Amino acid sequence: MSAPIRSPETTRPETPAAKAAAAAALDAAAGRRGALAAMLAVIFPGLGHLYLGRKARAALFAAIVLVAVVIGAKLDGNLYTPVKDHPLTLLATLGSMGMGLPYFVLLLPLHYTGDVTAQGYDYGTAFLLSAGLMNLLLVLDAWDVGTGRKE
Amino acid sequence: MSHFLLMVVYALLLSVFFAALWRRNRREQVVLFLQLFIGMVGGGLLVAWLMYPFPSGPPAPIP
Repeated sequence: MSAPIRSPETTRPETPAAKAAAAAALDAAAGRRGALAAMLAVIFPGLGHLYLGRKARAALFAAIVLVAVVIGAKLDGNLYTPVKDHPLTLLATLGSMGMGLPYFVLLLPLHYTGDVTAQGYDYGTAFLLSAGLMNLLLVLDAWDVGTGRKE
Repeated sequence: MSHFLLMVVYALLLSVFFAALWRRNRREQVVLFLQLFIGMVGGGLLVAWLMYPFPSGPPAPIP
């Protein structure tokens, strides 16, 4: 008489406590993966999705955000920085900083400020601010995909 | 660049972005892209048409 075959189910933890511990370990791993993906997405557009293996989406998102940044800068739009006694500029700055590394590249090495007298100033500002806000949405998406809440 | 072209480029970028972000199925992405793109460009043209009879007035002072 042959020995009974142990199915995978029989090797899994059966007690509720063991099941809860296994689920918690899985959740912790997914949380770490999501957090790392979100952090990478903050640094550079598309990097979080690249880390998660979504190469095509990463390339598309990076291209969209960078095109918006380049058009905004070419039009001499405003790259927001906090202005004293204007609290709303703080929110706009946070939104613009959402684009990650490109914001600091424009601000520090390139000393980009925009030109309020330029014809495309308002349009450029809209492009630059939208680039930052789009990348903030990408951060949330990378977090959701990394933690398994989204495909 | 003309105002209209900039509006079209802006609508194009945002429509592609949100279609890729919010939908996973290709057909659904195309549908959402068209809805957003036509909504933004068409809405812009509609508002421009509604504002056409009103005078633009003097340019705003540069702060």
